[in-house]
Amino acid sequence: MRDVAIGQYYPSSSVVHRADPRFKLVILVLYLVTVFFCESFFSFGFLTVFVIVTIFLSRVPIGKVLKSLRMILIILIFTTVLFMVFYSDPDSKPLAEWGIFHIYLKGIYAAVKLGWRLVLLVLMPTVLTLTSTPTELCDALESLLYPLKLLHVPVHELALIMSIALRLIPTLIEETDKITNAQKARGAAFDSRNPFKKIKAMIPVLIPLFVSSFRRADDLADAMDSRCYRGAKGRTRLKKLHFHVGDVLALLFWCAVTVCILFLKYNWFGWGFIALLSI
Amino acid sequence: MPFLEFTNVDYSYVGGDDEVIRALRSVSFSVERGEFVALVGCNGSGKSTLARLCNGLIIPDAGTVTVDGASTAERASLFDIRKKIGIVFQNPDNQMVTTIVEDDVAFGPENLGLPREEIRERVDWALSAVGMTEYKNSGPFRLSGGQKQRIAIAGVLAIKPQLMILDEATGMLDPSGRREVLDVVKKLNRIDGMSVIMITHFMEEAAEADRIIVLEHGQKKADGGKELFTTPEVFTCAGLDLPLPVRVAEKLREVGVDLGCPITSEELVGAVIKSVKGGAA
Amino acid sequence: MIDVKGLSYVYSPKTPFMTQALHDINLTIETGDFFGIIGSTGAGKSTLVSHFNALTRVQKHSGTVLVDDIDLSAKKIDLKKLRAKVGMVFQYPEHQLFDDTVLKDVMFGPKNLGLSYDEQKTRAFDALKMVGLDPEVFASRSPFELSGGQKRRVALAGVIAMHPEILVLDEPTAGLDPVGKRDIMDVVMHIKADCPTVVMISHNMNEIAEYCNKIAVLSRGTVKGVFSPRELFGSQELLEECGVELPLVTEIAVKLKAAGVDIDQTILTEAELVTALQRVVRRA
Repeated sequence: MRDVAIGQYYPSSSVVHRADPRFKLVILVLYLVTVFFCESFFSFGFLTVFVIVTIFLSRVPIGKVLKSLRMILIILIFTTVLFMVFYSDPDSKPLAEWGIFHIYLKGIYAAVKLGWRLVLLVLMPTVLTLTSTPTELCDALESLLYPLKLLHVPVHELALIMSIALRLIPTLIEETDKITNAQKARGAAFDSRNPFKKIKAMIPVLIPLFVSSFRRADDLADAMDSRCYRGAKGRTRLKKLHFHVGDVLALLFWCAVTVCILFLKYNWFGWGFIALLSI
Repeated sequence: MPFLEFTNVDYSYVGGDDEVIRALRSVSFSVERGEFVALVGCNGSGKSTLARLCNGLIIPDAGTVTVDGASTAERASLFDIRKKIGIVFQNPDNQMVTTIVEDDVAFGPENLGLPREEIRERVDWALSAVGMTEYKNSGPFRLSGGQKQRIAIAGVLAIKPQLMILDEATGMLDPSGRREVLDVVKKLNRIDGMSVIMITHFMEEAAEADRIIVLEHGQKKADGGKELFTTPEVFTCAGLDLPLPVRVAEKLREVGVDLGCPITSEELVGAVIKSVKGGAA
Repeated sequence: MIDVKGLSYVYSPKTPFMTQALHDINLTIETGDFFGIIGSTGAGKSTLVSHFNALTRVQKHSGTVLVDDIDLSAKKIDLKKLRAKVGMVFQYPEHQLFDDTVLKDVMFGPKNLGLSYDEQKTRAFDALKMVGLDPEVFASRSPFELSGGQKRRVALAGVIAMHPEILVLDEPTAGLDPVGKRDIMDVVMHIKADCPTVVMISHNMNEIAEYCNKIAVLSRGTVKGVFSPRELFGSQELLEECGVELPLVTEIAVKLKAAGVDIDQTILTEAELVTALQRVVRRA
């Protein structure tokens, strides 16, 4: 449980760290769109190269980024394998079969793409939280959502909630560990196969966790009030968000990539060479 | 006019089992600028309630709390009151709003709406005052409890309050963490002239203060300087210990050895040396 | 008896974040010991004791831990038997309370041992009496509405209701006021009559000096040595080498000695200090 990478900033002064968090957020959204829509191995390759280059530029140790995969490793393997053995392709002969399980060449392709997609989906948000502080993300979100303020959406509060959540996730995980251990020491068994029993076994962990979360929330509210917090009104900032030419270029580049991938996916222009790329 | 003044303050709340808990009963006292006051009492004596009344986190049921003449019951003056009184709470993990040390310290000055340059200045000053400058870009997770509390102090300092209240701020720390925090607080009081109210049940910490207020079951039992230690009953009745040197001197007096009234271990050592050397001469 | 031989422990092995938490730990805790474990924050105290009831498993080729006849480095451990034998009270144990009545909460451990309802209840009542809470008054109350010191005693009762033979306490008095601290230590001494072996982690040297008969000093994951209180607090070199601070009473004696007063430096309790000072002053 200690291996959650989200919400853990890795201090450095790399290009990626210095980039404007607003641009990073928008690019992340574009990136996620392309990950969802990309089809060909060519596009997967391109996105992978992009991820590797970004990690390299960010100077975050690769192990720290890959840690985030450890959390989803089981889901990853499970879904990929299931997808592969249950894929059916009426047009071709299966490469192998055991009872209800069949493996088709296309099934392997599809499964690999599925797994690959999941990995890509997890890696980039991890890089974002490793290279941007919660304050930056919070400010960026607030700034991007500014138009919603005109519709009386409490943008500042939402952004602050997000920042506090990021701050508290590791603390709560640590707390869960501690309580679980304490109940295990009192003989609690969490390894039951029966899902109902399993949920019941979680109660001695969940209740203390709720109690302590409420206490933390109370404490934090008192601490914030004591430090003169009164919402967005009259608040200034220590750090101002700046963007540079690089940020703009990166954004333009990503707009182009997204458009291309969407073209590839829907083959809007029907260009022949695209067929070449989408194996 | 005293800086902080409690006049006949009552406060009660509804606890478990729907019983009404009278946390404070007719408490009056005042604190002047520059004072170092220890507020002692056992758990449940109303200490933390009192801290939260000081800056209007809660409002008295009866009586008044005024800061620089302004009542905490006036909503309009709360912001000004909180600029003047900072509170450091007990749990080091529940006070940081964000994951980067300097961003957290900046939270207060940002709320004050100060210009960017001044926020920067204050953050740097506050971090250096607690000796945490080199950690300004770290997250809280690799820091010790003592370091986290020093950051909480910096977060309060950056608001430049005139009075700092430490609500059992050393209660969850190990001895070295406790010393770190106490040293910082003493320095702020002695050198920078900040008023301090230290809420604690560590009597050795209370012995460092100029003045001690004893709370028992929500009532003020005693209020005075170090001479309070000559009447140990006020502490023992309130469920508190005396500092060890006071206890030892007390027991020695019972067997006919008079060492005066040493409060700190240095004083006890001094008194013994004096009586040994003096006796020999 | 707990026998630890050559125990090492590594966090996040085979990753860039590998950290050695314990290194080649050797110690034996005999039945009847009040065994103190001291060391600064991060020295590995909690990691060490969490091995004692297999919350942390002994890593491969990283030494052995024997609890009586149970080998904790074995692949399969009878966890039920082990956890009934070794009771573990964590820091701020009141944070683990969860049930709606004190009685049910204390019965949680015995219930997990598979005892009959009557037996669970008898044990819970006995445990509550043992920690000084009258079952008639407290059994039906909600644990969340008690005072801090009472909550801690309920949590303690929840562990001793399992009738452990070895009780491990991680800073049992942290955060309590002086009276609360003394109450808890009294309860612990009371429990020790039935549960002969007690292991206690503490930062409070006054408590360590007063209660423990053996003290292990941990520093950065290694054991600096296991000493009797007098050996440890009587030796300036040892203390400095281990980075341990003195109990206040010993500190006063040491300061007096340094100032040329003829006094025994290995004083451990308040009563001893009073007697020694009395003698010193009288003689003069």
